[in-house]
Amino acid sequence: MTELLLGLQVIVAIACLWMKKPLAAVILLGAFSLLGALLFYHLDAPDVALTEAAVGAGVTALIFVWFIHRTRGGEHQE
Amino acid sequence: MSFFDIVVLFFLANSAVSLTRVIIGPSVVDRMIGLNMTTAGVLAVLVLIAVKQQVPVYLDVALVYDIFGFIGLLAITKYFSDREKSA
Repeated sequence: MTELLLGLQVIVAIACLWMKKPLAAVILLGAFSLLGALLFYHLDAPDVALTEAAVGAGVTALIFVWFIHRTRGGEHQE
Repeated sequence: MSFFDIVVLFFLANSAVSLTRVIIGPSVVDRMIGLNMTTAGVLAVLVLIAVKQQVPVYLDVALVYDIFGFIGLLAITKYFSDREKSA
């Protein structure tokens, strides 16, 4: 189970690096943090999983989406 | 294999299939809905294991993930709404 979750994390991280759109990369980062929280939960560390869930799913996505919005979708403006 | 194991495996398989949609999804909306479905399945597994092992601390992980996952999804949908309004 641990190896399966780590392998899935590697696949999701590589897919996150290949994304063209910034918002898709943010969503894949959320999937990465979900797998990380599940891994910590499986390793009997519920407090670490709690922090990973709060930071990875909520604060990181919120700040990154806000930043993409402030920079107009990461597109170049003439 | 008990009934509990079958239910947990069902939810995990559901999450895995949704995760493929997150990875290969053509548009951003597909990835967003796929992540929502994946989160729902994983949350069900977390609650089932917490109830099975009789550890109430494990339930807090599912609760916090649900709340903050909703906030993150709300930020993404608000971004789409603002972009549609300005375009």
